[in-house]
Amino acid sequence: MTEMSSILETDGLTKRFGGLTAVDDVDLTVESGETRAIIGPNGAGKSTFINLVTGLLNPTEGSVRFDGDDITRQEPHEIVQQGVSKSFQTASIFPEMTVQENVRMAALAAERGSFRFDFLSRRDRLTDVADVAEEKMRAVDLWSDRAVDAQNLPYGDKRRLEIAIALASEPALLFMDEPTAGMSPEETDATVDLVEQVQRELGLTIVLVEHDMEIIFRIADRIAVLNRGSVIADATPDEVQGDPDVQEAYLGGVEL
Amino acid sequence: MSDDTETDGGTTVDVTPEEENLVDRLVAAKDGERFVAVAAFVGVFAMPFLLIDVLGVFDTLIGLSLGGFVGLPTLILSFGIVAVGYNILLGYTGLLSFGHAALFGSAAYAAGIFSNNVVASPLLAVVAGIVVATLLSWPIGFLSIRRSGVYFAVLTLTFGQMLYFYAFGPGSWLTNGDDGYTPFDVAGGPDLFGSLAMDASITTLFRDVTGLTLTLTDGLDMTVGYMLAALVSVLAIVVAHRIIKSPYGLILKAIGQNEQRVAFVGLNVFRYKLMAFILSGVFAGAGGALYALSKAGLTVHPNATLYWVVSGDFVIITAVGGVGSLAGPLIGAVVFEYIRLVVQGITVPGTEFQIGSLWRLLLGVVFVVVVTLFPDGIYGGLSSLGDRLVERFGAATDDRRPVEEVEETGGDD
Ligand SMILES: Nc1ncnc2c1ncn2[C@@H]1O[C@H](COP(=O)(O)OP(=O)(O)OP(=O)(O)O)[C@@H](O)[C@H]1O
Ligand SMILES: [Mg+2]
Repeated sequence: MTEMSSILETDGLTKRFGGLTAVDDVDLTVESGETRAIIGPNGAGKSTFINLVTGLLNPTEGSVRFDGDDITRQEPHEIVQQGVSKSFQTASIFPEMTVQENVRMAALAAERGSFRFDFLSRRDRLTDVADVAEEKMRAVDLWSDRAVDAQNLPYGDKRRLEIAIALASEPALLFMDEPTAGMSPEETDATVDLVEQVQRELGLTIVLVEHDMEIIFRIADRIAVLNRGSVIADATPDEVQGDPDVQEAYLGGVEL
Repeated sequence: MSDDTETDGGTTVDVTPEEENLVDRLVAAKDGERFVAVAAFVGVFAMPFLLIDVLGVFDTLIGLSLGGFVGLPTLILSFGIVAVGYNILLGYTGLLSFGHAALFGSAAYAAGIFSNNVVASPLLAVVAGIVVATLLSWPIGFLSIRRSGVYFAVLTLTFGQMLYFYAFGPGSWLTNGDDGYTPFDVAGGPDLFGSLAMDASITTLFRDVTGLTLTLTDGLDMTVGYMLAALVSVLAIVVAHRIIKSPYGLILKAIGQNEQRVAFVGLNVFRYKLMAFILSGVFAGAGGALYALSKAGLTVHPNATLYWVVSGDFVIITAVGGVGSLAGPLIGAVVFEYIRLVVQGITVPGTEFQIGSLWRLLLGVVFVVVVTLFPDGIYGGLSSLGDRLVERFGAATDDRRPVEEVEETGGDD
């Protein structure tokens, strides 16, 4: 966090599904290098917000700027190529490929762009791809399992593979949708350590959706609170904790 | 680190056995390009001997006509090449096309029309077939791939049927419609480079060149036409192997497993799918042109080339042989064409009963049995048997998939 310049800005971002407004006029600014948490009750629109930014969904209204460029309505692969990547809420991996093949897929795209005509070149000569993949597998501690088919990994390892894939895309901005959901306490701890570590080492900007307040207070620089699609608070953890609106949103004032 | 109780820690992958066992070395070589080329070469040239001479023994011994005929190996190769390419689409990318007859058939007609109207060169006819099928696969793929699943299959089917009806009716001026088109309708038969007659056999050539008489069995006495088909096939197999070992092999497999994730690592899924479709079109073109070559002096008919049932046959060939492998579709082509063309002609000894048109029923039974017993086709069944043998006789004990290693030779482009 040496300089505070915004890496992501949404302007009036809105998504309606029929009568339901899942994301409602959201203006959010994420500073370069920060770890930003997005919290909010179930159905608040957190995942939908991420899907709008990363291109899975097109907004009904509003725009998204990344690094100064308008990326609204771009295809997901174009957005990823510019440096925005995400780890999915439920691990989205390639089940019948090995851990190594899974991570190399992402490294391939990061190193070589979104499309090539190289169908006659040998992929076992792509040392740059292999190196990036190895680095990410080691970072999430899956290197020794690299020959295992992804579908045979235990649940927590699948989630970490998901993170390795997201990292191998070499993003500048990483969205993580509940990266620790369903993990054991030890796995959760290791994953939070990992997030802190990559944030520090790679200078990544991270936007994290998380329900566990302990984790959020440990790693978030700022917190945005979504409720029924709207941002009801956007401040430091301490400020958010004392905000009566936020307490109200969480079932009538349960202690945060 | 995971608490994996079944394996003893995670370091076994790095172990290189001190003395390399012969079985392990063979297994390691199996994926190499040279091995694939040699195996394809041997297989393609041994096939006529096995099908015609070896199985033909039963004809003379017990009067059961199990032996193939001279034109069978070429037909097997032409369908086999299509299936090898089709597998890139179905087995890797997971796209079920019912329109490949359109590509195969168009190439067959293109090869024939080219040789009758431009030059009667079989080699250039193959090129013409490939070019037409490739050019056709681009718009068909482009329009079909925008939709997924059933809609993709139905769109490809629709395009295929449009071409079929065109060739049958309005396009008769070009295709000769229901009467069939005679490719290589040239006096004296088509020549390879204008000097070697396609139907000349090795023994005839040998006699012409040396003046000596050589005697070979039917299966070994191949024609120039078969040798051309064989060499085109070896090339096609090597190219397919290359594709599988290129970044495409990994990317297309990944698209087949989780398309959305491929987009979210930053790859243009549409363009890769389209490329898979076009590449399979290249193979369908080569196969179709070889099919036309095998019909020199005979006729190419829409029902045997462009009709949607032919598309279904490619699906069956690929699935019976084994999707996702290189050898599987070729094995499937052997089984399919053998049942269609040889088993069909069998008369059960001691009776008057001929299999005849019951061959489709028999094929269905074979299909059901294979798919039930071996979900990964005949090749899948064979290779799991092979794995068990390797486990028994090889030195390496790790039952996990081998890691794909990267050669330290620097980039290639
Ligand atoms: N594709 C869709 N079509 C219709 N409604 C949708 C769609 N996706 C999400 N919604 C609705 O939009 C609202 C916001 O959903 P979203 O998944 O973004 O919530 P969330 O904050 O991520 O919740 P959770 O904490 O449970 O993951 C919900 O009411 C949901 O039912
Ligand atoms: Mg969600």
